[in-house]
Amino acid sequence: MKIKLELFGASRELSNKDYLEFNIDEKSSIKELRKKLISFVDDKFKGNDNFKKIIETSAFCSEDNNIVSDNYKIIKDKKIGIIPPIGGG
Amino acid sequence: MLHAKIIDIKKEKIEISKSEQFISSSKFGASIIFTGTVRDVNENKKVTGITYDSHDDLVIKSFEEIYKESDDKLLIKDKAVFIEHVKGYVGLGEISILIAVACPHRAEAYDLSRYIIEEIKKRSPIWKKEHYENAESEWLKGNPVQTT
Repeated sequence: MKIKLELFGASRELSNKDYLEFNIDEKSSIKELRKKLISFVDDKFKGNDNFKKIIETSAFCSEDNNIVSDNYKIIKDKKIGIIPPIGGG
Repeated sequence: MLHAKIIDIKKEKIEISKSEQFISSSKFGASIIFTGTVRDVNENKKVTGITYDSHDDLVIKSFEEIYKESDDKLLIKDKAVFIEHVKGYVGLGEISILIAVACPHRAEAYDLSRYIIEEIKKRSPIWKKEHYENAESEWLKGNPVQTT
């Protein structure tokens, strides 16, 4: 299934758009999505260490605006947000 | 009583007068207006401005949670709170966040104002991209969000 990954903060450097799209297996977990993103950085950005670090330290949020764990299964959520380390105010 | 909003700087701006109006009530004897503004130096680099990014829905949710928590954690039930945070480019000296609180007594108002800004820093999904004099820019590192 196709999912849309909404980009925020430093993760916006991964694309000129506000999002990335990935094809993933049904019931993939956030952990698997994270691996997919790391592979994407390997392919598109020659394994850029800064980008990898952002992905490794990011949380993810579901379409209904909950921060979800690495075990969360992506079943019907077609939209996931990546939440890099925060620091506003 | 809570007002919580993300201000898209391309469309509108933070206005202190709106917050004063919102928290004004004869039942409150103490009010504090806190503003965060863009500083000209950070870690020895000359800053020219900051671009703020935000996950709007999650930020509003976090503001609401912080407001509700203060009932039990600080035991402050009678209060008015106005929170606005900017998203987009903000120049030097301009306001990025405004927190206005009003309570019956000053000790509660100080505690509440401090609690809200510290919790926002820890929990609200807001990001800063600093712009420097040499035309460079970078996203600040920040703190990872805890997952359960």
